[in-house]
Amino acid sequence: MDFLSDTWFQIGRHLRTQVRMKIWIFMNLFQPILWLLLFTQVFKSLSNQPAIGDSYLQFFAPGVVVMTVMFGSAWTGMGMLQDIDMGILSKMLATPVTRVSIITSRIIASMTMLVVQALIIFTLAVIMGVTIATGFPGVLFSIVIVSLLGLGFAAFSNGLALLFKRPEPLMGIINFVSLPMMFLSSTMMPSELLPSWLDTMRRFNPVDYAVVGVRDLVSEGYIWSDLWLSIVVLAAWALVGIGFGTRMFRARAE
Amino acid sequence: MNIIETEQLTKIFPGDVKAVDSISFEVKPGEIFGFLGPNGAGKTTTIKMLNTLIPPTSGTAKVAEYDIIKNPADVRRNIGYVAQDIGVDEHATGKENLTLYGHFYRLDGKTIKQRVQELFQLVDLTGYENKIVSTYSGGMRKRLDIAMGLIHQPKLIFLDEPTTGLDPQTRTHMWEYIRNLAKNMGITIFLTTHYMEEADQLADRIAIIDLGKLMAIDTPEKLKQSIGGDIVTLSSRATTDEEREQFKTRTEEALAGKSFVLGTQVADGELAIYVDNDTSAVPAIMNILASKHIEVESLSISRPSLDDVFLKYTGHSIRAQEGTRTTFSEMMRRRNRR
Repeated sequence: MDFLSDTWFQIGRHLRTQVRMKIWIFMNLFQPILWLLLFTQVFKSLSNQPAIGDSYLQFFAPGVVVMTVMFGSAWTGMGMLQDIDMGILSKMLATPVTRVSIITSRIIASMTMLVVQALIIFTLAVIMGVTIATGFPGVLFSIVIVSLLGLGFAAFSNGLALLFKRPEPLMGIINFVSLPMMFLSSTMMPSELLPSWLDTMRRFNPVDYAVVGVRDLVSEGYIWSDLWLSIVVLAAWALVGIGFGTRMFRARAE
Repeated sequence: MNIIETEQLTKIFPGDVKAVDSISFEVKPGEIFGFLGPNGAGKTTTIKMLNTLIPPTSGTAKVAEYDIIKNPADVRRNIGYVAQDIGVDEHATGKENLTLYGHFYRLDGKTIKQRVQELFQLVDLTGYENKIVSTYSGGMRKRLDIAMGLIHQPKLIFLDEPTTGLDPQTRTHMWEYIRNLAKNMGITIFLTTHYMEEADQLADRIAIIDLGKLMAIDTPEKLKQSIGGDIVTLSSRATTDEEREQFKTRTEEALAGKSFVLGTQVADGELAIYVDNDTSAVPAIMNILASKHIEVESLSISRPSLDDVFLKYTGHSIRAQEGTRTTFSEMMRRRNRR
């Protein structure tokens, strides 16, 4: 019970902080819009390719949802760093607050914001002409999939923040890891058009499992063989992340 | 029953750094206990062991009658902690900061509401409840910070360097708040500081800590009395280290064996001579110096202060040690003087 109420009240704190930053909200909404508009123009000539279908936008929209969640959650450790830096964390640790709630509340709060973002991107995509094969239930299913991906990233990010306690290594690692994870997947290119070594690599990449799952739901329908695999792999990814994050918290928070 | 009892409390950090070296002391309920020492003496490490943030390497302590190792959760429920860094959330309002802490201490909504109101009054922030903390001044933030440590009405509160970084005027105000806490609410205050004046003004008892070791512990008055009589401070006309050294040895030789001299000590380039209360000591010193042709630029007589107490027990001045740590600001000061 204490764990739940502690988590609840801290989620409130984190969400209020985010909502108050007007520029942050603006940037987070604007960025996916930019991706949708810009990238569909860049890759326009790929439209009508058999592996892509009639429109690159239809192909790419699931990728934008996944990218937004991935980058958004990968940076959540910065908030933890700020709490460490300002002495907020150690002050909290001297209270009876349940330890784990400090990290779970951060992860859940950032997921909440990302779910809202994902819903907005879906809405926007539909306005721009994307048709969603599985309809609104499919959108909700997609959100479950990207949430699992985001949970893993957010947990790893918080864990790394606690491990290094400095922004520089965290920023370095996120930049080093996130872009290759995006390109070593079928986010922007269909797997049929990838070189074979890349097609093998993407099978070790949780981002690809999210993209494949969401793309099925948007363009194809309920392809359960893909969807189950996505859910299982991403749940494992999230669990490993949470394991790492809480372990770092126990070892490094003071 | 003591509210804090430590026994051979020790913390050794990786690299064999003895931050706190087997210290034992007691804090009585209701007192303001001052932990005085320079930066890096081990004050914060001691607090962090007592409030369960870090485990001791060896030794034990009881805080509010609970063992810090066996019952950390009970310790946390009974203490308030105000760290050196102001640990308030700048993006939240003052009220939100306080309310969150109320929930951490498992208070119900109604109690929290009432306490928040009382605490804002206590720390003189009424009217600022719903303002975002980033609009607060440094002193206001510190007061909110202290209020957050009091929401659950603890028996004991740790204030780690509560006035560091505040301007002198705000510091004097803060002293008032701290005194009122102890007097009106009966809270025991464990306070660390590297300001002599702060310890002198606030503390009922002072522990002097240096390089992780407890050097002395007593009331400010008794500590000062322990020095003996008065202090005659001489400064020489010397301009080089060599000349200063010469001045020191010559003066010490000249005064050797005189019954009214209790001891000498060098600090900040000056020579302090501890003399007994005999009023004839000063003319005697002057005659001796004149007969030996030792030139003195100035001479002053003072009652012992905590500075002198610190010097006596640690062998160095708290300020001198800090000077070496702030070489850059020292340099700037010197440059501005030109």
